[in-house]
Amino acid sequence: MADFRLKAEHAGQSAGLLERVKTGDLDAFDQLMRANEKQVLGTALRLLGNLEDAQDAAQEAFLRLYKSLNRLPDIQEIRPWLYRVTVNVCNDMHRARRRRGWEPLSGPEPASTQPDPELAWVHQERGRLVEMALKTLPEKERAAVVLRDMQGLTTREVAGILGSSEVTVRSQISVARGKMKKFTDRYLRKHL
Amino acid sequence: MNCPDWEQDSAEFREHLKVCEHCREFEENAAAMRDLKVAPAAFAAVRQRVLSEIQAKKRRAVWWTWSAMAAATCVAILCAAYLLPSTQRPAALVARKDPPKIEWPLVQPVSHRIHHKSSGRSLAQAGPVRKTEPLAVVKMLTDDPNVIIIWLVDQKGDSL
Repeated sequence: MADFRLKAEHAGQSAGLLERVKTGDLDAFDQLMRANEKQVLGTALRLLGNLEDAQDAAQEAFLRLYKSLNRLPDIQEIRPWLYRVTVNVCNDMHRARRRRGWEPLSGPEPASTQPDPELAWVHQERGRLVEMALKTLPEKERAAVVLRDMQGLTTREVAGILGSSEVTVRSQISVARGKMKKFTDRYLRKHL
Repeated sequence: MNCPDWEQDSAEFREHLKVCEHCREFEENAAAMRDLKVAPAAFAAVRQRVLSEIQAKKRRAVWWTWSAMAAATCVAILCAAYLLPSTQRPAALVARKDPPKIEWPLVQPVSHRIHHKSSGRSLAQAGPVRKTEPLAVVKMLTDDPNVIIIWLVDQKGDSL
């Protein structure tokens, strides 16, 4: 489970990094982006299903972070703040580009650490199937599942990011898992 | 899939996965999505775009600052050019010398003498009573420096 709190030995360095960023140090901001880029781009990619759109969303999220740095007194607030902004940006982009329809992942292939090529292929296909199932979900349920099950946040953290209660998040995740299960079963029956 | 045990910590969760097929299946699917790897170039591209955008915004901000300062300077100069002469005008008036005062009348009133031929005496007759109104003097220079035409004009505009 991911924890928003940074380790104590890194907290001082991170606070210094935030102070440097606030003074306009772009190298420091670059470091801050490196520390959070997997979180932001990974979440955006899972929510949008398209690398190009995910990069646009990540860019927007980091630009918003740069503008809002003075409103973030503590570096520990950056991570949940970035999740929240990333989800909002992705929702905005999803609404704006709804007409375009979903596209398959244009960039990375779901990678697998399986040594067996056949198992790796199964793992990869499973990833694609989940990705397709995710696309069928409403945006709030999709965000809840991505943050909870793929980003590994706790229900409380997801509730804080989405501005919902924990009960609502549990319900959304439960409903979303049911829908995904139905979708994958139906898909496998149809194609196998 | 919707087991309440899903939220428990990882050790108990792993135990639960051994007995719950639905949760196991979902966890495998989620793990497949978690393994989604993005090329480092994609991260670098995002960072590069963000930094370029920030630098461009900084340049635009500097340009706007200088433009605003230049515009403010122009406005200040225009205001100064408009306001300063009006504030200096009274001082100029004070410093200016009054025009030389013209002594009136320039021409003494001539009493018209009527020579009475029969009596041989001349009667001094007072000329028409002239009010000592200020007269305007118009001097006209001619080509000949010895010839100057002088007009005396009263206030009604009649020449004398």
